[in-house]
Amino acid sequence: MITKKLYVIGAFVFLLLLLIPLFFESTFVLHMYTLIFFYTALTAAWNIPAFGGQLSLGHASFFGIGAYAGAILYVKYGVSPWIGIAAAGAFAMLGGMVLSLPLIRLKGPFFTLASIAFAEVLRMIAIDWRSLTNGSVGINIPFKPALMNLTFQSGKPFYYISLTLAVVVVYLTYRIRYSALGFHLRAAASDDEAAKALGVNTSLAHFVALMWSSAITGVLGLFYVFYIYVLEPQTIFSLDLFSLQPALNGIIGGMGTVWGPVIGAVLMTPLGEFLRFYLGTIQQGLNYVVYGLVLVATVRFIPGGIVSLLAPMMKRKSAEKAAKPAIEKEAR
Amino acid sequence: MDLYAQVLVSGLLLGGVYALISIGLNLIFGVVRIINFAHGEMVMLSMYLTFWLNYFFGLDPYLSALIVLPVMFAFGFLFQLFVVQPILSTSATMKIFTTVGISLLLQNLALIMWKGDFRSVQTSYSMSSIEVFEIIISVPRLVAFGAALASIIFLYCFLKYTYMGKALRAIVEDHSVARLMGVSVEKHYLFAFGLGTMFTALGGVLLVPFSSVFPTVGITYTLVAFVVVVLGGLGSMSGTFLAGLFIGVVESFGGTFVSPALKEAIYFAIFILVLLVRPQGLFGQGKGTEEVGLK
Repeated sequence: MITKKLYVIGAFVFLLLLLIPLFFESTFVLHMYTLIFFYTALTAAWNIPAFGGQLSLGHASFFGIGAYAGAILYVKYGVSPWIGIAAAGAFAMLGGMVLSLPLIRLKGPFFTLASIAFAEVLRMIAIDWRSLTNGSVGINIPFKPALMNLTFQSGKPFYYISLTLAVVVVYLTYRIRYSALGFHLRAAASDDEAAKALGVNTSLAHFVALMWSSAITGVLGLFYVFYIYVLEPQTIFSLDLFSLQPALNGIIGGMGTVWGPVIGAVLMTPLGEFLRFYLGTIQQGLNYVVYGLVLVATVRFIPGGIVSLLAPMMKRKSAEKAAKPAIEKEAR
Repeated sequence: MDLYAQVLVSGLLLGGVYALISIGLNLIFGVVRIINFAHGEMVMLSMYLTFWLNYFFGLDPYLSALIVLPVMFAFGFLFQLFVVQPILSTSATMKIFTTVGISLLLQNLALIMWKGDFRSVQTSYSMSSIEVFEIIISVPRLVAFGAALASIIFLYCFLKYTYMGKALRAIVEDHSVARLMGVSVEKHYLFAFGLGTMFTALGGVLLVPFSSVFPTVGITYTLVAFVVVVLGGLGSMSGTFLAGLFIGVVESFGGTFVSPALKEAIYFAIFILVLLVRPQGLFGQGKGTEEVGLK
């Protein structure tokens, strides 16, 4: 019952979001929504390995690989970004394979560390390999508005593109979460040994999860770079923007849940932009101080994220409505 | 030939400092069993402290160790008391997030208070060097190596012969049994974190005469320390020392013959290779590795 209600609310919100560009002409509003959608998709993609308890702090690497793949193909070889999507996904997945090497034997902190190192290494390579990446100057996407070039006069098309991406990626994670893979991952997250004893190939599950996650993140990277026109290694591979931010959204919303990343991205993106504009201009770095505090406090006081606060409320409602106690699907 | 010897020596000297920083990490991880992602920020803080003591009071970097070390011991002690202790029973993910949060916090506080400039201390001996068999040895690097070696030997003896050292080793071995034997585990956690931070801080102090400090300097040292600890083996002091030297040499050769920009790529390759081939490290006995999935 409660789920039906949620679908209705979801459909309503979606319709509302479709209409927003028709009423708001302000580029700031559109940009903010576009960013929220991008981060929702990115956080949802980040969250796929997190179903299995794997915490990545290096998703900027996949994001950057995808962005570079698309931009290089388009600028140097004139390949339409729509075709570039396949390359962005494939190359990012290749990156995911490299990062999955330590996963064969490791979990926990060392995977996290390897993911940070991986993004750092890619940043170094992108700066160093000038003939391909144009070094630290980066690559500019020429402004030639056309659908084939994924370049548009107004911000509206990208509003819809990013909205579509967010919906598709969240739906994908939802499907993954309730597939065999999702259950394997959840088993691995709660007790790796026990899962193995029951015949779950947890290493394979972690691997497949990372493949999905990296490929999706690569595609998002491509769209992002065509949205902002510029690509430079320091920004695209930065720890703050595309590695820490999705992780932060995920943990604050609720890591390893389907809706946690959505809630996290919707709350944290405007907050992040606000902090960057107001605090960041007063004092460089102040916004990240706030972030650090929010992170430590969230982990201390609501370790399950905001979803864990909402879940009991929803459960209670559904229990009230049902005549007998419903067989509750666990909130996670 | 001369060039190779030269590169080897400077690598070894640098490796001594890496070993010192990593031993702090290894001690903290071995005893408290927490992976501290803010480890490099401890190096950063101690470097800044040394820098400011020199800037305002003209204190020699080596002398300032007398102030920096106790301060950083207290910092580690309080860090354990107020940040780590409350989350000890939570999942690994929560611990990672907490220390990552602290790392972000410290980095940006440093940025706010001291700006993003690269700062370095100029001393009379910063540029001085001695020549042995046509190999030029920088004096501050040699001092750093000597001090690192001495403090590692000191730590080794401390752990081996004193009551507290034995208690710490007992905790590393099995903290529940240690508790049953009457060791007050929580108190020793505080002490271990303080001590580990102090050794790390010494590494920071020794770096100041020949390298610059800036708010994000810690990331590199966190990475280096983890690679060294993994390579040398968790819980192995001598392993950490040798691995530190090794990484120093690798960095030195990589920087000279491949590309200075790619040294981190080389670390990363070694890191992954070791984890794949011998996850308990070259000298580790696999103690304390169950938390990170090595067993």
